[in-house]
Amino acid sequence: MDSFILQKDKLKDFFASLEEYEIWAPVQNGTTTLFEVIKDLQNLSLDLKHQALISKSAVFPQTESLFTFDRNAPPQETNLKEKKETIIFGIRPCDARSFHLLDPVFEGDIPDPYYLNRRNKAVLIGIACSEPFLNCFCTSVGGNPFSKEGLDLLFTELNSAFYIEVITEKGKKIIDKTSTLCASSSSEESTQKEQMEHTSESKIKRKIDLNNIPEKLTAIFEHPIWKQLAMKCIGCGICTYSCPTCYCFDIQDETRARKGRRVRIWDSCMFSEYTLHASGHNPRPTRSERLRNRIYHKFKFNIDNFGVVGCVGCGRCITLCPVNLDLIENLSIIKEVE
Amino acid sequence: MKNPYMPEIAKITEIRDEALGERPIITFKVAFQNGHDFNHKVGQCAMVGILGIGESMISIASSPTKKGYLEFSIMKMGKVTSALHACEAGDTISIRGPYGNGFPLHEWKGNNIVTIGGGIGQAPLRPIIQYILDNRGDFGQLDIIYGARTSNDLCFKNELFELEKGKDAKVHLSIDVEEVEWTKFVGFVPDNLLKIKPSPKNTIAITCGPVVMIKYVIKNLLELGFSDQQIFTTLENRMKCGIGKCGRCNVGPVYVCKDGPVFSYATLKNLPEF
Repeated sequence: MDSFILQKDKLKDFFASLEEYEIWAPVQNGTTTLFEVIKDLQNLSLDLKHQALISKSAVFPQTESLFTFDRNAPPQETNLKEKKETIIFGIRPCDARSFHLLDPVFEGDIPDPYYLNRRNKAVLIGIACSEPFLNCFCTSVGGNPFSKEGLDLLFTELNSAFYIEVITEKGKKIIDKTSTLCASSSSEESTQKEQMEHTSESKIKRKIDLNNIPEKLTAIFEHPIWKQLAMKCIGCGICTYSCPTCYCFDIQDETRARKGRRVRIWDSCMFSEYTLHASGHNPRPTRSERLRNRIYHKFKFNIDNFGVVGCVGCGRCITLCPVNLDLIENLSIIKEVE
Repeated sequence: MKNPYMPEIAKITEIRDEALGERPIITFKVAFQNGHDFNHKVGQCAMVGILGIGESMISIASSPTKKGYLEFSIMKMGKVTSALHACEAGDTISIRGPYGNGFPLHEWKGNNIVTIGGGIGQAPLRPIIQYILDNRGDFGQLDIIYGARTSNDLCFKNELFELEKGKDAKVHLSIDVEEVEWTKFVGFVPDNLLKIKPSPKNTIAITCGPVVMIKYVIKNLLELGFSDQQIFTTLENRMKCGIGKCGRCNVGPVYVCKDGPVFSYATLKNLPEF
């Protein structure tokens, strides 16, 4: 498809000509980087020293109101139609792929209007990973640092410019609106981008061959290995909160006086309350059952249900784990277990 | 797009005590304010709740052959069910659904039916009994095996005592420990099943109760010669969405809320975690 060049110093003008969109992008926030709605383009942070916290919150917020209620009136649905179209800028190819894993869950037999409304209104502008992070392993789970899957436009940082590839009609619309800023690319620039693509893939150091994992998991459900693997786990849940393909949620009511709202909040399968019955019975009573379920969900059940591994290889669960539980190491142990 | 998270408001028209004591059970009869039907299938569930408190997944204890109302038999257990127990006739509650697959009753036509329930586990079996009684010619013999800890914990007592007198069903009640006035079976439900020995010939067995009871009932049914395809159960897990998205009710790759709650043992025995 078509490719264009946008000078880096024109990025602000680029967004200025897209003012009808709500723009989400990485913002430096203390020592971490978060995806936020950009009100002031000064705050935009593309020089990522830390992996940006996942962009899924732009489509699936950590907390969202489902409806409001008042004791004597029927519940009032949150108005979804008023929501502006959104640009999610600076998303990494692995995170963009994660939307392809989340979509079938929220579509399903009974579609989820909250997720789908935001998803349909979102334009995903990715930045290719010319410098993969320490624990990136996207190439082991079907992705790569320049993957276009799920994206509408892909930006690659050349020296002083972005090389832009148009992937979808939604992406083309953005280029049409900013056509005075975007020039056609030259063949040298295309060659430079291709070279970067090639070298970046070779910079990914962490790898795992998933070949026999689903079959292996079928055989070792009751194996003592799960107790061993879970011994270090403190059940903090950061592996799930930071995971771009995790989608579990809780629903709670918040009230003040007679009024209130029903909200949904991200939840984590690593918490004991997640599965705790009111009777006190818990089908996953300890961290070993919970860690086992998380690995089965990503590397077996997701394949059973949707035909694809439920992991995009972003490596955040490894980088952020406070006790150095390492998913790739665990999977390697599982492969060898007798 | 219909919003699956929006509940409808229904009014409690009648409240009946089923079991008293430390584990009280109440049956709520409810009707939607505009009088419409819920169009549920036997064995389906609904999210029942109170705005401001929350929701719980509850099996629908009445058959769709009973028009104009729904019944839910609910044990007082957690936050939501305690709040429901504080309700009175005339109060409003929230309902959304129906959810889940339900029992394949059309496939069971012409068969004998055995229901095997324990405690509050009789609630999802009750609509099967009602449905069969309302379509009596479509099914063979109906055996109702049901037990609870004490006679006070038995649900639907009046209906079951009434059924005992007639010819439409055979009722086999039990309690776990002896009581002075009790002349029927004393012991656990799986043992009562072995004593009654229903024939597996053209028979479907459906069981619901505590997980440990279900496991022993299935073991005993297999011993009696029932095949995996003749045994059904209905499961429960903690749920929040009811539509297979919030994640927590999975048993292996299946979700109890949308792929269940009804499973044949042929399916169940291949699932990890059961």
